[in-house]
Amino acid sequence: MPLALEARNITKRFPGVLANDKVNFQLEQGEIHALLGENGAGKTTLMNILYGLYKADDGEVLVDGKSITLSDPRDAIKHGIGMVHQHFMLVPVMTVAENVMLGTEESTPRSSFLGPLSRLNIRAVEDKIRALSTRYGLIVNPSDYVLLLPVGVQQRVEIIKALYREARILILDEPTAVLTPQEARDLFNIMRSLVAQGVSIVFITHKLKEVLAIADRITVMRAGHVVGSTTPAQTSEAQLAAMMVGREVILEVEKGEAKPGAPVLKVEALNVLDDRKTPAVRGVSFEVRAGEVLGIAGVQGNGQTELVEAITGLRKVESGHVYMGVDDQVNHSPRQIFEHGTAHVPEDRQRHGLVLSYPVRDNLVLITYYRPPFSKKGVIEEDVVAQNAARLIEEFDIRTPGAETLVQTLSGGNQQKVIVARELSRSVKLLVAAQPTRGLDVGSIEFIHHRIVEQRDAGSAVLLVSAELDEILALSDRVAVMYKGEILDILPIQEATRERVGLLMAGVHEAR
Amino acid sequence: MTATAEVREPGKAQALLYRGGIPVLAVLVALLIGGLAMWASGSDPFVAYKGLIDGAFLKPRAFDETLVATSPYLFLALGVGFGFKCGLFNIGVEGQYYIGQITSVWVAVNLVGLPLAIHLPLTILAGMLGGAAWAAVPGFLKVRFGAHEVITTIMLNYVSFFLADYLVGLKGPMRDPQASVPQSKPILTSAQLPRFNELPAMMASPMTRIVTALLLGISLYLLVRLIVRYGFGGRFRRTNQWITLAIGLVLTVGVWVLLGNLTALGWAFTDKASRLHVGIILALAMAALMWWLLYKTAFGFEVRTVGANRDAAGYAGINITRNMVLAMAISGALAGLAGTIEVIGLERVLKSFFSAGYGFDSIAIALLGNNDPIATIPSSLLFGALRNGADLMELRSGVSKQMISVVQALILMFVAAPAVIRWIFRIKAPHGEKAITVTSGWGK
Amino acid sequence: MDFHSLLDLAPSILASALRTATPIALAAYSGVLAERAGVVNIAIEGMMLMAAMVGDLVMLYSGSIWLGVIAGVLSAGLLALVHGALSITFKTDQIISGTAINIFATGFTGFFYKRFLATPTLSRPSPSTLQPIKIPLLGDIPVLGDVFFQNRPIVYLMLILTGVIFYVLFYTPWGLRVRSVGEHPQAADTVGINVFKVRYISIFLSGLVAGLGGVWFSLEQVGHFDMLMTNGKGFIGLAAMIFGKWNPLGALGAAVMFGLPEALQINLAMSFPDIPYQFMSMIPYILTIIVLTGVVGRAIAPAADGKPYEKG
Repeated sequence: MPLALEARNITKRFPGVLANDKVNFQLEQGEIHALLGENGAGKTTLMNILYGLYKADDGEVLVDGKSITLSDPRDAIKHGIGMVHQHFMLVPVMTVAENVMLGTEESTPRSSFLGPLSRLNIRAVEDKIRALSTRYGLIVNPSDYVLLLPVGVQQRVEIIKALYREARILILDEPTAVLTPQEARDLFNIMRSLVAQGVSIVFITHKLKEVLAIADRITVMRAGHVVGSTTPAQTSEAQLAAMMVGREVILEVEKGEAKPGAPVLKVEALNVLDDRKTPAVRGVSFEVRAGEVLGIAGVQGNGQTELVEAITGLRKVESGHVYMGVDDQVNHSPRQIFEHGTAHVPEDRQRHGLVLSYPVRDNLVLITYYRPPFSKKGVIEEDVVAQNAARLIEEFDIRTPGAETLVQTLSGGNQQKVIVARELSRSVKLLVAAQPTRGLDVGSIEFIHHRIVEQRDAGSAVLLVSAELDEILALSDRVAVMYKGEILDILPIQEATRERVGLLMAGVHEAR
Repeated sequence: MTATAEVREPGKAQALLYRGGIPVLAVLVALLIGGLAMWASGSDPFVAYKGLIDGAFLKPRAFDETLVATSPYLFLALGVGFGFKCGLFNIGVEGQYYIGQITSVWVAVNLVGLPLAIHLPLTILAGMLGGAAWAAVPGFLKVRFGAHEVITTIMLNYVSFFLADYLVGLKGPMRDPQASVPQSKPILTSAQLPRFNELPAMMASPMTRIVTALLLGISLYLLVRLIVRYGFGGRFRRTNQWITLAIGLVLTVGVWVLLGNLTALGWAFTDKASRLHVGIILALAMAALMWWLLYKTAFGFEVRTVGANRDAAGYAGINITRNMVLAMAISGALAGLAGTIEVIGLERVLKSFFSAGYGFDSIAIALLGNNDPIATIPSSLLFGALRNGADLMELRSGVSKQMISVVQALILMFVAAPAVIRWIFRIKAPHGEKAITVTSGWGK
Repeated sequence: MDFHSLLDLAPSILASALRTATPIALAAYSGVLAERAGVVNIAIEGMMLMAAMVGDLVMLYSGSIWLGVIAGVLSAGLLALVHGALSITFKTDQIISGTAINIFATGFTGFFYKRFLATPTLSRPSPSTLQPIKIPLLGDIPVLGDVFFQNRPIVYLMLILTGVIFYVLFYTPWGLRVRSVGEHPQAADTVGINVFKVRYISIFLSGLVAGLGGVWFSLEQVGHFDMLMTNGKGFIGLAAMIFGKWNPLGALGAAVMFGLPEALQINLAMSFPDIPYQFMSMIPYILTIIVLTGVVGRAIAPAADGKPYEKG
């Protein structure tokens, strides 16, 4: 039987980077093949080439044993290749039906002679969608607006988009990044059912446990080339991690016992609205003590972003209290909150945490520039700023040609190090870290985890918010789970098993 | 992807060459296209451009007039540039210019009996405040309501035109009943901005001479301090404070001597027909002040950060509303100052509205200098020269002055899209180059 | 001004308002066509000015008003393609490239005006404006007939465009693709839609419509070109677009609202003789500012409006 999809000697260069280096990849008919690698290994690039979004500099692509040319997604779709991207390619203000039919629109029979100016036949499309829905078990309502759909359902829409175009090969890019453990299990069931109906699946991920759970075969990529292929039976998490990174990886974070002290942050009955003016944080209460890490677990979109923004002064609080010691900091400005001893490593490092067009030197004083010693009577003391930069670059091992280098040229890991250096270089009572290692390479992840534990041991209170359950379980002393704006439960680390936390993340909890 | 990236920094000299080279090439290509257009419409481009150069620099008194044309451009471009640094597109500089003229002329005409030393600064202040207020309103509307400042400021431009028209028009309160054309009463001499050829007479009074020498001396001293502290890569930073003070004192004395012997210098000081006024000096001083404000103060850091990344500015604790409104106000104050200087230095009476078209030009000037206050100086000089020389160009070659607008538009296009120039000349971009972006879409 | 005379005058005021609203509505539609595809077009003013001048120029040398109309419309389309090239291919900031086009148009039209139009060697056809066309039967209906069916050609074209644009944008495959490109160009790209092609076509159409608005000034309203004759209508049109929530029907309503003060000018001047005329002239502009503050409803632009699209 010919291979469903094959990539031979694919090479792709970007300015300054060899993203794919003579990559070979084979997808058998009816298998689930996992493509594993850490961020920046080249997996998404390869898949984008297979889907026609990028053109390879060299190499060829074969479908069902025959070489094909891929100049844009239309070609890929024509050959039965469909792709579900990590960040959904859905137009939020349009309905499911409109999104699905985009590009392959159907016209009403009477007007079809007008071509692109004919009248859209939405009814026919909706019927087709319902048929696909039933056949594959992907329940969606064609007339819903995508904007209002939960993330798991949006993903189903993306899969239906591919099936509507008669895809026989499905590429899933980090599909479980936005799902709870239960939703991920549901997705795996859907994948198995698709395979049973003749679809072959490639799925890209960096999550080792998943790969072992669902894949028939695993291919590991590192720094642009394929390191090797194997099957779940023949390998282990540790081995896969080593293949991904190229060296022995310690999967556990070394940390000693926590010695928690007095409560530093006390959140009481907090209510916060999101951008659409719907409640995002509903009556949340918790406290974080000095010398401990409180991890907030939960799939993105359950109010964690808004919670962090409220605590750090970036979002208005409707009601409730945020006590730092005895002061209620609710609706204080970010500057006031910072001056009272809070450091914030923001979730979106490029949007909030850094000014990309500024040099490293300026980013390192982004929060403190207005105070002595960095400013005297409103005038900036450039010497002090320069000294500070030199010191922090060394102390935090920021890989940069110099303090004058613009931050936008740094790698993700080093950009994050700039933020961490800035926030952790002053003594803080509370460190709020939101998704601190998202998209980073393993080396940087280790470094930042180490620093967080260091802060904890030095007596700071640490509030860690992360969608990566592994990270929460590795670093936290207590684990809180957020679901639909509420904290469902707070467990000491010993009681926080994957299963228990997973259930809470899906909204299932024992009555209190 | 970045795990294997090699970041190669372009050399400092290379970057500077790129930075300065693109604007120069942009101007040259624009002039070339202008020349082609002239040739296509039947005129001789060489005669035209020679006329331009003669009219701007070479004829007697030409350079004076070029400087006269430069000074409002410099103020306006500084204003536009300051706005851009904060992420605000202040096209309303033209309206703020007129409002500045209105408020300053009102003070200049109506406050009788004040000495020059008080009246003149007050007049200038009035002009700045008028412009500032006219700009602060759209600034506030943007922050509070998301009203896009491009449209609101253009609308206010039209409102200001009508307002000025009304005020000096037939039923207007500021109209001079004795004038044959609609205009205001002439401003009092105590509010006039001195022309260079009026200075020798003014400096005859010992009091005026000493005060002016002191003012200039202090300004020069501050300038010397700036240069010592920041110039030449900081090589002279360790210079003893007393040395700079001594230099300042020497300069002050030297200025005092100079002020008594202006007639010996000749040039615009003795030329009765020259219109050159001290506004150009003020403009240059403003450029230095804006440079210092933007790059050396905490306030400037805030303004630039709001412009570079609004979200990060909020995270950093910067008060975005305050900074944006202030930036618009400063921008407007500079525009109002431009109008003030023009009216109290040149015409000395407020005439009925006619659009000088300064507003859009100053946008091109600011962008040509990449919104940097110091680079704006040669940029303004260029446009001043173009504007001034256009009259002689038209006279000699028949090419109408409007061609200059076309050339200016081309310069703007090329500067705003370095990619076009690079594509023409096959220059590679330095790592991380982005074309200038000011705003994206409407609302917040 | 009593109630009865107001009622009597209402049809003529409405007809007048429809007329003054026409250039504003066309400017707004121009904006809609471009922005729905994600390209900010503040060069509408410049495009209108260009069309007005070229229209007059061609009418003068060809003797045909309609030839002038076609030439004017096409010239605006051409200018729009330049804006498109700058914004789409060279990824210039769209506000800056739009401003450059405006400056260029001001200079270019002024130059040509002085050279060929201020003291023309030929004479224009007489009359040099498009004449009102009365639609048989419909034009005889009392009130409605006076307002809607006895207009000049460009007003009719504007009304037709209102319906056409509405239908195409919301009921056809082309409209769906345009909207997707304006909201989420990456999503459109991944289903094989050529984002650049859609944007180029959209900006060209935007220019054509702006051109129609431009020739209204010189070939339907006045009879020749005057420098800067568009007087900010291009920008007011943008406000109408925003107020109308990027929807042609809403934009038309907004345009009529903006056109009313001008239509009422004479009546207003008679009722309030003490207010200087300059203040009356200010009204549309101040109204625009008020609209933009969202006092009468906040508007949300297409999500990718103003952002150049980078592949990958």
